[in-house]
Amino acid sequence: MPRLKQFVYCALILVVLVSAASCRKSQITGQADATIEEKPPLLTMVRVADPKASAQLVKGFHAVEGNNWRWTMGRFSVLLSPPPGSGDSGARLVLRFSIPEPVLKALTTVRLSAKVGDVPLPAQEYRTAGEQVYTRDVPPQALAKSIVPVDFVLDKFMPPGKVDQRELGVVVTVVGLEPR
Amino acid sequence: MKRAWNAVYWTVPSLVCLAIYWLGLKSWFYQDDFAWLSLNRSLQEGARVWTLLFGPQAQGTIRPLSERAFFMLFEGIFGLNALPFRVAVFLTQFANLVLVCAIGRHLCRSRAAGLLAAVLWTVNSALATVMSWTSAYNQVLCAFFILLSFWCLLRYIETEKRIYNLLQWTSFLVGFGALEMNVVYPAIAAGYTLLGARKHFRRTLWLFVPSAAYTAVHWHFAPSPTSGPYRMHPDLSVVTTLWQYWQWALSPVRLEKAGILLPSWLLLSATILLTVALIGYPVVQFLRGRRVYLFCLLWFVILIAPVLPLRDHLSDYYLTMPVIGLALLGGWALADSWKSRWQWKVAAVVLAAIYLGCSVPVARAASRWHYNRSKAARALMEGLARAAELHPGQRILLTGLSSESFWSAVVDKAYLLVGIREVYLAPGAEDVIERHDDVARVSDFVLPPAVTLSALRNGWAVVYAVEEGRLRNVTSAYHAEARVRFSESQQPLRVDVGSPLFADQLGPTWYPIEGAFRWMPKHATVALRGPDAPGSQIHLRGWCPAQQVVTKPLGIAVSVDGIVVGRARLSKPDGVFDLTFPMPGSVVGKARIEVAIEVERTFAVGVDARSLGLAFGTIAVR
Repeated sequence: MPRLKQFVYCALILVVLVSAASCRKSQITGQADATIEEKPPLLTMVRVADPKASAQLVKGFHAVEGNNWRWTMGRFSVLLSPPPGSGDSGARLVLRFSIPEPVLKALTTVRLSAKVGDVPLPAQEYRTAGEQVYTRDVPPQALAKSIVPVDFVLDKFMPPGKVDQRELGVVVTVVGLEPR
Repeated sequence: MKRAWNAVYWTVPSLVCLAIYWLGLKSWFYQDDFAWLSLNRSLQEGARVWTLLFGPQAQGTIRPLSERAFFMLFEGIFGLNALPFRVAVFLTQFANLVLVCAIGRHLCRSRAAGLLAAVLWTVNSALATVMSWTSAYNQVLCAFFILLSFWCLLRYIETEKRIYNLLQWTSFLVGFGALEMNVVYPAIAAGYTLLGARKHFRRTLWLFVPSAAYTAVHWHFAPSPTSGPYRMHPDLSVVTTLWQYWQWALSPVRLEKAGILLPSWLLLSATILLTVALIGYPVVQFLRGRRVYLFCLLWFVILIAPVLPLRDHLSDYYLTMPVIGLALLGGWALADSWKSRWQWKVAAVVLAAIYLGCSVPVARAASRWHYNRSKAARALMEGLARAAELHPGQRILLTGLSSESFWSAVVDKAYLLVGIREVYLAPGAEDVIERHDDVARVSDFVLPPAVTLSALRNGWAVVYAVEEGRLRNVTSAYHAEARVRFSESQQPLRVDVGSPLFADQLGPTWYPIEGAFRWMPKHATVALRGPDAPGSQIHLRGWCPAQQVVTKPLGIAVSVDGIVVGRARLSKPDGVFDLTFPMPGSVVGKARIEVAIEVERTFAVGVDARSLGLAFGTIAVR
């Protein structure tokens, strides 16, 4: 009987200790990894200020400015979804951008070239400041996949300096593929 | 040194228990647990404490201590933290093991027999469920009261001290709050005294009085089900059921549950060998004048007897208490053999090895199975909680849900505990789910195809596929597939009146949603599809307020496309009603039917000027 009492006392102490340790009113909360959410479909034509498109701007884009545009670096890349049927008929790559006056004054000319997947596209040289459009036909073989990477390269750009510590290329508003 | 040995003696069975069932300590909730965890929510919604604690629920059971109070108290303090619940179960079981030790020591006059009995009981694979599933706590707690009562009886017989008799009575009476099985305790007390302490036999007969009274009251308030798996079959089938339970108690036939596949003749041979030993040994002892050995077998029979008529509902956890008798007998025989010739020692060791070799792997495998089931339920709940956070206001449709997860969590509406009101199966998800219509109809959880299409088109719902350990949002893919497979113009066969998703199916007179219900005035209509085959019925489920039946029953008439299909009179105040009427053959195959409901009278409450008839939840053609 005394041993039984000892056991009961030990059990009571254990109850108190364990209860104290787990005395936390727990509710089920949504852990971030409890679900896998749908990825939004990739856009064919991207407005670079659109938050939904930010995942497609994979390299060389600075933050959105003026709710409308982004500065690029000397090299910048986007992922695009080819327009329907472009695997047969090809598409047209469009980049709408501007070259600010101070940049052109410093660089004199800017030459822009692009590559869709592994297919290089002809470059174009710009000698005037202001709004510009770079547009090139893209052959069907470059658009065979559901997602295509597009890489742009500027031959000259503004290196990080005293006025702006960022590497600055051009100011882009829209990039995408149009059906041909 | 002696104290240390004593401590070891009393704690070894508990340590063995922990070693085998440690996953049970980590288990979360599943299945019936969610119904009991919802009791506090029901209390907040206005249910009476008395009804929640003592009202017959789940197959007419009344277990205020082991289910109602236990879950209400622990949920109130710890919420959905399962650990304290599990700790309480384990501690109660540790107390049981101490009591078995003490009873065995006393009964067999051997310290070793007591210890062995406790160990043999704890390794029995039948205990895996109770050591892993919180809803089975009733078995552990009832075992505690029966063991305590019996230990007090033994002490009373030994010492003649009235305090032990008083304690026996107290424990016995409180035990009724744990499980109905407590009613058989008087048979145990009488059986023991008849065989081992005859001068106390007559005194134990008084214990039958509370048992008889409890049985009468229980059968009055919770009559035995007349259909389904809990229907009693007091016929010859009890012999087959007894054999089934006996085989489970000995374990060899359950080895396949541990993934160990042996020839059936070998398993049957092992069962027969153990049977011969467990029946032969007490019979031989009885013939030698040692009658108490037979009491151990009697213990098994008395405690399994109440569930033998449940031919269609065999559950291993029903063996929790009966196998104590076999464990006592085994422990006693093993201790005896150690004092006998070497041949008996060898025989005893071989038999014990067979039992342990079969039981321990099954117990561990079953414990893991329960743990994994609870883990899946938890992952589902966490996924639903996250989905609700990401998509506030949207209903969640589930696809890819396994049958196990459906029956572990969804059927008991576990999601209500995390504040989600509407979770449905996406159409098509029900195909892989096992049907148990006697428990719940899977189709009642499926959002009808047309309603699904409309909900997805309007952005009112999101679809998640249940994957291992998490949910994957597949709304776009499912919607694209659903557009091809289903038609939005097809009327549903069920209307959840309390869900806004079904608003298009309701006539103009229904009042706005309140909780999961809508009130109707004197007359209301819903649009449904005609049944696909003759012989279908229309089901109406709702709630009847006390005001409607305070003076006399309330008449209700239901018609389908103008044909009156049935009338009923409701008399249960503040109670849920379920009405079923046959559908007329003329509406079979019709694309759209109108179901009209009319109540005899309406009432108004305070400043609310509305004329209220009844509150409805679901109207369905089945």
